[in-house]
Amino acid sequence: MGTSRVRLGWMAVLCLCLPGCGLLIDAVEHVWPVSGNKVGIICERERVQVGLAMEPFRPFVFPTIWTDEGARVTGLDVELVRAMTDELSRRCGRAVTPVLHLVRFRDLFRLLNEGHLDWFMSAVAINTPAPARAGVAYSLPYFYGGGISGITTSPAVLERVRANVLEQAIHPSPDRLAATSHALDGLTIAVQDETSAYYYAEANLSPRRLILCDSLPAAFEYADSQAEPRIDVILGAQPVLEYMVKRVRKDWSPLIRENGRPLFLTKADYGVVVAEESYHLRWLLNDLLLKLDESGRLREMRTRWLDEEYAFPRRASLEGLSFDVEQMATHYAQGTCRLKVEP
Amino acid sequence: MKTYLFCILAAVLLVLAQPSMAGAVERAEAEETARLLAKLLQSGRMVIERNQALIDDPHKGEKGFTPELFEQQLVREFLAKTGIDLTALPSAPVSILIPPLAKELLPALVQASREVVRDAQVVINQRGIGYKNFIPATYGSQASARFSKSAHVRLKQTAIEPRNPKNEPDEYEASVLKWLSARPRAEAYVSELTEEGRTLRVVMPIYYAKDCLACHGEPKGDLDISGYPKEGHKEGDLAGAITVTAPLTIRK
Repeated sequence: MGTSRVRLGWMAVLCLCLPGCGLLIDAVEHVWPVSGNKVGIICERERVQVGLAMEPFRPFVFPTIWTDEGARVTGLDVELVRAMTDELSRRCGRAVTPVLHLVRFRDLFRLLNEGHLDWFMSAVAINTPAPARAGVAYSLPYFYGGGISGITTSPAVLERVRANVLEQAIHPSPDRLAATSHALDGLTIAVQDETSAYYYAEANLSPRRLILCDSLPAAFEYADSQAEPRIDVILGAQPVLEYMVKRVRKDWSPLIRENGRPLFLTKADYGVVVAEESYHLRWLLNDLLLKLDESGRLREMRTRWLDEEYAFPRRASLEGLSFDVEQMATHYAQGTCRLKVEP
Repeated sequence: MKTYLFCILAAVLLVLAQPSMAGAVERAEAEETARLLAKLLQSGRMVIERNQALIDDPHKGEKGFTPELFEQQLVREFLAKTGIDLTALPSAPVSILIPPLAKELLPALVQASREVVRDAQVVINQRGIGYKNFIPATYGSQASARFSKSAHVRLKQTAIEPRNPKNEPDEYEASVLKWLSARPRAEAYVSELTEEGRTLRVVMPIYYAKDCLACHGEPKGDLDISGYPKEGHKEGDLAGAITVTAPLTIRK
């Protein structure tokens, strides 16, 4: 009884100090978790805190758009959030609402580790070998056959890569990774900071210069400005780059193999990212994704967002999700690119 | 003094004896308010239209199209359209030109509009992205919805075949739109009492300007930038209407 009174007292103090109810609930959760595991907490609070990258990763996350209902975000990952939350609501026996937090890609990891997010996604590869990715865990993949590839505007680079690939086909190298990477030796390569492409480039390539960009749109903007050093190749998630060169930046071409298929520097599946210790939640997410996979829903989503012809503003109007506008406004900036300085 | 009291008594008796006159006064006030609200929303749409190139500029991040700037331009546009200075509204005397209801509701619509522009900042200020769907129609839908939520007067954008299902016309609106579409472009509006005189409906037509045709013009059926099929309209065609629904307290 004494403890309850103290708790009530604390809650009253917090009520006076904090501006919003959500903050109060979150603060109380930090002190006294509502239930023994993350799933229980989500069900109890009837909200799931989901992180998405504010930098567009089309078609997984599109730029935010204005609709008749206000600001909305849409994309494959957003549809998946909706599908997973619907399923979660059934499991919890009550409606669970997704609360979307659109933040910088690099901040997603920090916010997850600090407990502000239950999970996040944004075409995140589940197998990126990098120390910076320690402390998080991944669900089953929801998107198979992604990976890292590149795009260029230079016919000379395309030719060079084609020749390299052809050479490997004729004389297979025992070290395929090194052989493929040689095709990019001495070039100026741009990557989005702290993405899988960045870690790949850092670990495996010997570029003349590595340009770090805050986002893919920033990389395009830098390239368009003709600033020196000029970008020879942008590396990134292959499905994102493919979407861009097919529909948005048709002046760029993908690096391809001799058979015309995309040149993958490495393959990756994309999964939902959770805190390492959220074992219950991970089991649940795995189960939700397995169900979506078995029902064919994941395949449908992939076709819908990667293959169909559509305009994303319309999809945003019809099925997009809202997000925390207040937080976005203070954080948003497309960012810039800068040369990586070697230590 | 006696004469003064007599006049007041006479006026009260007149109103009590002739409810239709009181009703007529209320209707006139509601009608003028509705007209002004529609004009104000139309002014907001014009401000957005005028700033469309800036809003859709992919090379600029911070556009400077703030709620404050929007409000300044809205006030100017409304002044040009109606002769009413919204900044002087609180101190303006009640008159036939500015009925009390309008003094109450016009600032509420300005506030709702400001909020829409404020919330859209996150979308407007994206760099690297051109079209953001922050256009007169989507501004108008949101501003109307926000205003109508807090006021007893309902503001709506509608069209014969609206892109947004929520803007579908009701029976009355559909009949007026049909009537308007068969007539040449005019600045006039339609005002009518419905529900046995309990509700005033005002319908103010909107016509397509040249800039609208990039999305609503030819070739019919082709998808526009936002993914909707173009309607094949021409400049000056009826685009839709702003409708105002105001309940009246005095029955006929």
